[in-house]
Amino acid sequence: MNREVFVDHIGYALGEVTRTVEETGSRGDLLSQPDVLREAGFCVHHVSGPRQTAYDFARQAVQTVERELGNVGAIIYSTCIPANANIGRADAYLESRDVKNLMDFPASHLQSDFGLDRAIVIGLSQQACTGLLGSLRLAQALLRSEPETERVLCLTSDRFPEGALYEQSYNLISDGAAACVVSLAPASFRLLAAHGITNGALAQASDDETAGSFFAYTHRVIQETLAKAGLQISDVAWFVAQNMNRKATDILARLLKFDPGRAVSPTLPEVAHVISGDNLINLKYLAERGQIQGGERVLLCMAGYGLNWQCVILEKT
Amino acid sequence: MGRVTLITGGDGYLGRRIAAKLLEETDSRLLLWLRAADASAFLSKQDVLAESFGRFEGRVEYCYGDLTGESPFDGIEPASICRIVHAAAVTRFNVDEGTARRVNIEGTEKLLRFAERCGALERLGLLSSIYASGMRAGPIPETPFVNAGFANHYESSKWAAETLLFEKYAHLPWRIFRIATAIADDANGQVSQHNAVHNTLKLLYYGLISTLPGKPGTPMYLVTGDFAADAVCRLMSVSGSERIFHVAHRREQSLSLDELIALVFEVFGTDEFFRKRRIPRPLYVDEEAFELLHSALGAFAGGVVNQAVDSVAPFARQLFITKEVQNANLIAALGRDPAPDASAVVEATCRHLVRTKWGREKDRVS
Repeated sequence: MNREVFVDHIGYALGEVTRTVEETGSRGDLLSQPDVLREAGFCVHHVSGPRQTAYDFARQAVQTVERELGNVGAIIYSTCIPANANIGRADAYLESRDVKNLMDFPASHLQSDFGLDRAIVIGLSQQACTGLLGSLRLAQALLRSEPETERVLCLTSDRFPEGALYEQSYNLISDGAAACVVSLAPASFRLLAAHGITNGALAQASDDETAGSFFAYTHRVIQETLAKAGLQISDVAWFVAQNMNRKATDILARLLKFDPGRAVSPTLPEVAHVISGDNLINLKYLAERGQIQGGERVLLCMAGYGLNWQCVILEKT
Repeated sequence: MGRVTLITGGDGYLGRRIAAKLLEETDSRLLLWLRAADASAFLSKQDVLAESFGRFEGRVEYCYGDLTGESPFDGIEPASICRIVHAAAVTRFNVDEGTARRVNIEGTEKLLRFAERCGALERLGLLSSIYASGMRAGPIPETPFVNAGFANHYESSKWAAETLLFEKYAHLPWRIFRIATAIADDANGQVSQHNAVHNTLKLLYYGLISTLPGKPGTPMYLVTGDFAADAVCRLMSVSGSERIFHVAHRREQSLSLDELIALVFEVFGTDEFFRKRRIPRPLYVDEEAFELLHSALGAFAGGVVNQAVDSVAPFARQLFITKEVQNANLIAALGRDPAPDASAVVEATCRHLVRTKWGREKDRVS
């Protein structure tokens, strides 16, 4: 019989510069008009300060849960942008022609910085915005397959490069990181099922193609995850969405025949789409306010480039 | 010119086909009325038609006007006209209210007033739509419709034009031909004019939309342009007292929305580009969800998606209504059940659209 796996201790960090959609629009960093993004539910977002790196966010996020790390046996470090999985200087490689500058892995630094000496490190860099949910799935598999591993630190961290647009697939982006601990020890949320779909033929999908495929594939990944857990959508109390256009969440709820009032993305206006971290940031928001009752099931879902769709179902203990 | 059949919208999708049929299969003399703002526009259109109809020289003449103008038929000698087919109309589902009123209602009244002056008029055929029934569900008989509300201004304008005929011009020797949506020119699936159906298929093929408004069981009434033109030509000539004809098949001969989508995806699936991309079949959404999607896409999505969804949206409400179109008058008049095989037409149409990438590439097969 599979051992039960639990998720808890969610922490996150955001870029230190907060801007309204109008401010970002006036900087030329959006594709859509600011009022369109505001209509979609976005108000502000958070971008890196000039010296903030993706690794800085990772450290900050993990620091918020540092006391809960315990005996971590693995770190699964996901990045949406593959370049964020290397903290080496590109110019150092160009000067030296030594490829080790391309392999300065942030997960290794994290292990060292937090003294997680027993932890192995795993990089997860090709699941885009779905990476954090993907890391929960990997953590579950690891905990079940390797008895000596009791706790896994999952995190995601990204910052957009200088000059990047801060709108992707009609979403306003924030730089930041999110982390959580997945363990065998009973904790806040029991991990009931984790599942994903990849359609590699859409690896270079346009924004319209990404949006176009969103509903059918998201619906499918949710249905398949429910089936994996032996549940119906009526067994789910909360659908914690990614921070995307509020209308898309409403449409998805209707497709699922799910109460739109319980299809939520409460941090959408103030946090925006923190790349791969939204689901857990939203879950933390709900949990801290006591909105999720014991025994209630929570479905988290994310879509990302690749194209990838991932879904996780948790149960509040 | 003698006894002449006037066809308004003579260069339009159906008007041109009706003209071709009459020229090929009868000895009718035709006067094709073309919409043109001025002589230059008229001459260009005439040149195009003359290429097609050149071999019938002496049997075809051309004139022009604008249905929104004061007197669009002033240049025509009424005494020579013995038959009129009024095909000129704006047929886009997303036509705005003002244009629909000026062209489809007021324009029709101008034609009807002109028809009153045609002393030798034997037959007046008004092209309409089965969607003049508007939001009416259940049996759709070949009788005048009451106002049941409408999904768009196109439908309401066609209903209003019919009602105008019934109420003010019933003394004319009229017939009404309510035509279903043309999905292809002919049984080979050729498509020369794209409408909301083709735009929807395009979105599905390119994976730009994964939801559809409607109920899976809603019957879809789709015909070919050739079938419609052939029926109109024959119905203009047959004797009998019936005056309203549904140029459409019946519910049991039609595909449901879900059967249509299944067939479309089966055909698309034979195309490597489509198959490789693993585009999933769309999910059906309710009206409110589709409206949310429409408004969200309106703000965000790119031009092609917007244009296509805009063209579909005004028709979306119809995809929730089960109409049982009746066509007893059509069958009785023609002496046979003429409906083309809906599956075969849809299949051929999809193959054509995929081959030509919706008209962007030359159709090597044809």
